[in-house]
Amino acid sequence: MAKVKVATVWLESCAGCHMSFLDIDEAIIDLANLVEFTRTPITDIKEFPQVDVGIVEGSVGNTEEEKVLKELRAHCKILMAWGDCACFGGVCAMRSTLDKEEVLRRGYIETESTYKGKIPRPPGVPALLDQVKPANHVVKVDCYVPGCPPEAEAILYALKELLAGRIPVLPSDMMRFD
Amino acid sequence: MKEITLTINGKQVKGKEGDTVLDICQANGIDLPTLCHFKGLKDVGACRLCVVEIERERRPVPACTYPARDGLVIQTKNEKLEKYRRLILELMFTERNHLCAQCVASGDCELQSLAYKYQMDNARYPYSWPALPVDSVNDYLVIDHNRCILCGRCIRTCDEIVGVHTLDFGYRGWKDMVVADLNQPLGTSSCISCGACFQVCPTGAIFSKSSAYKGRPEECQKVSSICPVCGVGCQIEALVKDNRLVRIDSPDLTGKRGILCHKGRFAPLYRNNERIDTALVKNGRGKLESRTLSEAIGIVAKRFAELKARYGSNSIAGIASSQASNESLKAFKELISGTIGSELIDTIDGDIYRTIMQGINTYQKDAALDIETSIEEILKSDCIIVVGANPLESHPVAGSYITRAASQYRAKLIIIDPSENTFSYHTTLWLKPKEGKESLALDVLTKAVINKGTKKDSAQAKKVTASLKDINVKQVSEQVGIGSDELLEAAEILSKSKRSVIIYGEGILQHKNPGIITSIFKLGTIASGQSASKPQIISLKPKGNSRGAWDMGIASPSQSVMKSITGNNIKALYILLADDYIEASELPKFGKGLEFVVIQSSYLSSATSKANVVLPSPIWVEISEKYSTLDGVAKSTSRLIKPTDGIKADSQILREISKHINK
Repeated sequence: MAKVKVATVWLESCAGCHMSFLDIDEAIIDLANLVEFTRTPITDIKEFPQVDVGIVEGSVGNTEEEKVLKELRAHCKILMAWGDCACFGGVCAMRSTLDKEEVLRRGYIETESTYKGKIPRPPGVPALLDQVKPANHVVKVDCYVPGCPPEAEAILYALKELLAGRIPVLPSDMMRFD
Repeated sequence: MKEITLTINGKQVKGKEGDTVLDICQANGIDLPTLCHFKGLKDVGACRLCVVEIERERRPVPACTYPARDGLVIQTKNEKLEKYRRLILELMFTERNHLCAQCVASGDCELQSLAYKYQMDNARYPYSWPALPVDSVNDYLVIDHNRCILCGRCIRTCDEIVGVHTLDFGYRGWKDMVVADLNQPLGTSSCISCGACFQVCPTGAIFSKSSAYKGRPEECQKVSSICPVCGVGCQIEALVKDNRLVRIDSPDLTGKRGILCHKGRFAPLYRNNERIDTALVKNGRGKLESRTLSEAIGIVAKRFAELKARYGSNSIAGIASSQASNESLKAFKELISGTIGSELIDTIDGDIYRTIMQGINTYQKDAALDIETSIEEILKSDCIIVVGANPLESHPVAGSYITRAASQYRAKLIIIDPSENTFSYHTTLWLKPKEGKESLALDVLTKAVINKGTKKDSAQAKKVTASLKDINVKQVSEQVGIGSDELLEAAEILSKSKRSVIIYGEGILQHKNPGIITSIFKLGTIASGQSASKPQIISLKPKGNSRGAWDMGIASPSQSVMKSITGNNIKALYILLADDYIEASELPKFGKGLEFVVIQSSYLSSATSKANVVLPSPIWVEISEKYSTLDGVAKSTSRLIKPTDGIKADSQILREISKHINK
């Protein structure tokens, strides 16, 4: 049987979900026999091949992240969201209640340690979106593993469900938002 | 009440007429999710999670507000209802800014638990991201509107249970939010910081500063105890983790005596005064320095034995704070009266005791403090008279019974007090007699009630009537500075009352005038309502265990030992403060003859710096001992946390001193 191809991205996030995935410990060996990881932040491959499963960690807060997520969606059959940021917006979305110019000013100019700060606006630096969005507010998402970060067991459960040909829905006792 | 039969999920269940559908579901173990419902509060149907389908109803209805009727056919669980419930949860999560990962309530949040239960792994609706304020002006509580779901539990608790009604909804529709008073910060509002809103909040919208991020309930040990701080004697339930108090709750918040106040709920979580954790002995240069407890006990015993031998037993006096436990006070009495044999023993509030007893005994010879009534009487009365007291400050839970009785049970509230009072909002009538005329003002009110023709024919009532026969209501009311119209209105209310209670406190007791107490009892005799056989009177005593100390005879019945300290005859003094923080200015000036002073206290203060030996006391959360409530019920505390090594129970130290002296 051909290996299931997987691509992952991390958008506006802390990489914690990917770290939690690595916490599945020895199960990763069995998984490696069944799954081929293509473009991921860990493999550092930049191009998207066509894959069976796309996995997104992180929320969408700027134009670049929006583009990457849309690209991932276009290259995968099933899209899975990992973590509170991708599922709900998460901690990154705390800025959503504020005006984005105010956020930039606070970050680049008003921070206590900043002297003569300046908001960098060279061409090519992606612009902030007005509000931070969860993945499903940008593209269609097929399944979710919330948590900040999700438990390794929850990630493994979801992957096993996918390998068994089912769309995973976490049972209540595996659900967590923190 | 009539029994009714309903069909729920195809099964026949029984209930009573007057129950809601939710009541019957809960009584029959049928699980329904709820958020705005809280046992003991009126239901409002705000959250809509308990929606059920009822035959012949066009649409799903909330079970919590639907009155059950005989023959109803109800469906509580099917695909459509479950879909609706998840939809409601998604709407709640997207309406405000619910970010579980940084929330104090995560892991102890009813909204979050329900989201888990309904496997809400994403939210389909666009987020509103409203910019909402966080109110952290209050000393203990924070309202974070970002996490509020507008269930209204806090508002209903503040109104129905606490009775102060500080919180309510402000604004309309989309902008609806919980506000304090007319939209002030909680810290400057009429809030009494009782923390009931924090206990009922299903999310992290109202949280306590001192409990935040200290530990989740499942990581804590739960210990039941009572709060001995003011003498109301409230039941508490503490969460403890790693010998640290995480939070204190009421085990039965909506029960009759369920609410707590900031003194019991929050104050124990703070450390405002410097603790004494070792014995201190004054050295040659007049400085207190650390010693072991047994060394200090040896020094105290030796000095007391010497001074007793040289000057006699009555050269040694003992003064105790009525904040000490019954066990401590008993051991204190054994040491001072027994081992040392001194007649000079008193409490710091001894003057108050003597004032009350003298007042009571003028009214009725040989009567004891049990002539007073219980605090519950407040909630049963249709008329409450508060004379010179500020219960919302001094005894906040008793104060909240008064506001609850007035606002929820429509009791009339008459205030007799020349000074400002926190009850203004609920007061029916406020009589302000001139300073110094309180006793006469009470007598003229009593007379006015008699003139209404109240039918009281007990021997006491006749005696009271006779004692007031010379009072001319019109003349005297002018003399005491109360308008005769007001006086007559008060008399009218009292003569119609079926059950009334009088509460008096500090404002009266500070005058140390027993005549006012006698007048209060006279008024109580005539005006305690037709159903009462004796006057219904409660005195708000100064300290948490005043009643215990007084009942045990620690307060001297006849003389003020406190005053005699200033004289030259007392050579040694033992002051038991326990966890009462007392400044030197609250104690009398020490006489010149005083050679040796021992203070046993939890806290360093200007008082302890005047001692020759300071012995450490535990605080109430560190001991399992008995305290008597202000209405005379002995209740036991449980140890919530362990004191640091070297701190022993007061009674143990006192007994060891006795043992040493007797050797």
